[in-house]
Amino acid sequence: MLYVVLFFLVFSLLLYVVLAGADFGAGIVELFSSEKNQQITKKTVYRVMGPVWEANHIWIIIIMVILWVGFPGFYNILVLYLHIPLTLVLLGITLRGVAFVFRHYDAYKDKSQILYDWMFRISSLVTPIFLGMTFGAMISGNITVTDNYETLSFYDLFIAPWCNGFSFFVGLFFAALCAFLASVLLIGEANEVERAIYVKKSRIATITVIILGFVVLSYGYINETTFVIHFIKNPYAITLAALSALLILPLLRSIRRARKVTTRTFTGLQVVLILIAALIAQYPNLIITSESEISILETVATDSVIKVLGITLIIGGLVILPGLFHLLKSFKMIKIFEQ
Amino acid sequence: MDNLDAARLQMAFTLIFHIIFACIGMVMPFFMVVAHKKWLNTKNPIYLTLTKSWQKGVAIFFVTGAVSGTALSFELGLLWPEFMKHAGPIIGMPFSLEGAAFFVEALALGFYLYGWNKLPEKFHWFTGVIVGISGVASGILVVSANGWMNAPSGFDYINGEFLNIDPVKALFNPAWFTQALHMTLAAFTATGFAVAGIHAFQVYKKRQAELHKKAFKIAITFGAIAAVLQPLSGDLSAKDIAERQPVKLAAMEAHYHTEKGAPLYIGGIVDNEKQEISYKIEIPKALSFLAFGDFNAEVKGLNDFPEDVRPNVAIVHYAFQIMVGIGTLLLVVGILFFISLKKKTWWQNNRFWLLFTILAPMGFIALEAGWIVTEVGRQPWIIHNIMKTKDAVTPMPGMIYSFYMYVILYTVLTIAVTWLMVRQIKFLNNSKSV
Repeated sequence: MLYVVLFFLVFSLLLYVVLAGADFGAGIVELFSSEKNQQITKKTVYRVMGPVWEANHIWIIIIMVILWVGFPGFYNILVLYLHIPLTLVLLGITLRGVAFVFRHYDAYKDKSQILYDWMFRISSLVTPIFLGMTFGAMISGNITVTDNYETLSFYDLFIAPWCNGFSFFVGLFFAALCAFLASVLLIGEANEVERAIYVKKSRIATITVIILGFVVLSYGYINETTFVIHFIKNPYAITLAALSALLILPLLRSIRRARKVTTRTFTGLQVVLILIAALIAQYPNLIITSESEISILETVATDSVIKVLGITLIIGGLVILPGLFHLLKSFKMIKIFEQ
Repeated sequence: MDNLDAARLQMAFTLIFHIIFACIGMVMPFFMVVAHKKWLNTKNPIYLTLTKSWQKGVAIFFVTGAVSGTALSFELGLLWPEFMKHAGPIIGMPFSLEGAAFFVEALALGFYLYGWNKLPEKFHWFTGVIVGISGVASGILVVSANGWMNAPSGFDYINGEFLNIDPVKALFNPAWFTQALHMTLAAFTATGFAVAGIHAFQVYKKRQAELHKKAFKIAITFGAIAAVLQPLSGDLSAKDIAERQPVKLAAMEAHYHTEKGAPLYIGGIVDNEKQEISYKIEIPKALSFLAFGDFNAEVKGLNDFPEDVRPNVAIVHYAFQIMVGIGTLLLVVGILFFISLKKKTWWQNNRFWLLFTILAPMGFIALEAGWIVTEVGRQPWIIHNIMKTKDAVTPMPGMIYSFYMYVILYTVLTIAVTWLMVRQIKFLNNSKSV
């Protein structure tokens, strides 16, 4: 049953990164567009994301719940030492969510739209950066686990873990991944004229992802970050990362031929491959502290808890997944039907 | 202010706001589907206009409820890491089921909001019903987790360790049913009276009276039925608390001395130093009867408990008085509403509409007061008789800044949502479709 729980944990994480990532990315693409294109993108984003955007963000709640139920010790370290970046992520999620709804559901479309728009765009960029920084902090080796909070300074305990170069680059890398996902997704939804905008955006995003990925690895390598050393030395991780890089070629061809389904599959696959590569390099020691590595399996809850959690997840999955699939499918099918 | 107080204030503050957003997001879908059904049955365009404007309200409140709920799911761990470390595995089941119910709600809402003229009529309407049902299910599950904090069960507590965990037993803890019933009815009462009050004000101001009267009737019907049923559920809760958390009952009633045939105190001013309550109305033997169904039963007073396990008596007592007082008021007005259905002339009288306008915030005031009774009444425990709140708080200093940040954030959010609602109503009143 432990593997069922781990499967749902990884599955939720992948879905969150791909679906919510595309969602964050849409705001980033909008942020880096000219004023005219911002309005076009705003409409497209609403049409594409509208029906599913709230569902996209529930995955993070599922992740939190699985962690605190199944892996309480692991969760405990995250909420203790990464309190500040997680709070900033929350602030971003809140502002972004309300801005999205306000700008589409305000009865009057007047000057207040400008405020909602900027709130949406900026929080769309800042939130994934802090999310990425939180991921980065887990593996940057700067967390100091202690029971004696008086002996260390506030900075060492609660700021140094995430406020470092490596975490920051991981944050930027994650934001770039989001923009990449979104721009490719938007290509398929735009009309002939607008398509050119997103093709250009997706090229820029692809290049940014590659550069930042390189920066993360080389920065970590120079500073001898444990994770990067593990990553480079792990044959599976390197193979998957290389595979993800190779997928760029068929992806570009697929974009040129305007193949909606294959384009999206390649993009999603690339992001999933990168994530799995990172997970494989470190599994099961998903937290690296300044002194040791902490395995997620060390802190697993008792068998009875895992059993009930697994069963709940299976039942939940049986209810949610067909619903989600149907939602994605019906709105897409309706669109095709209308055309 | 020390770290513990700051963390408690932040938790209280975020909960107070989340409860309002979540209740409206949970109950309004029911109003919306009733209006929608009436549109499908009568094809009266007023109902379509009403459905569509309520749907916007649902969307706005759903999202503010969802994001403030996401914030809370993080805050549980961020503020109370020691609590979550032990309680997380035990009460994980209601939370994971709540996640699933909430997910269903989000999916159904996606179908509903975007399904106009796209989905088959009946299926589209039905997705709205699912929004309502899954919303109520989420509410019940979350309250069950809170019930566990009042009535911890499903584990053995041996030498400071939580052993033999049984998540199913924890889910169905002794407090879950009474608390969930009381809260669900409270949500319907509060939202019913709030929404009805807003529409009553529009009728009072003679703006689009036909539409607002229809809206009023739908909302108040839910609110009034719940208000009439609420005292029964309150009685169940009181008996339950008397048995499981006698110190909480003593604080609610500001009873310092253990006695048989205990009187019920209404109102009054609590003096914790002198251990007495002055200027109260006293009903002989009523408390014993209400708590145990026996006029001569013994009710434990606060003096029977050590000082360090007593909650803040004044806060709990006043909050309880506010809750019961408003509850009684809404019960009476609820009955008046049902009479008004027979006496149509009342609806022509502007004072009728003024009354409901004034009552609009009352249900929510009572609901918040009720949560203050539950939560402050449980102190100093975070898990009743097992773990103290001060032992659960995060060791990270400076929580006061986090509190300030949330105060600013939620104040701005509340102002924004209120402003948005005012604009919705203005837009509705100016629309020509009616």
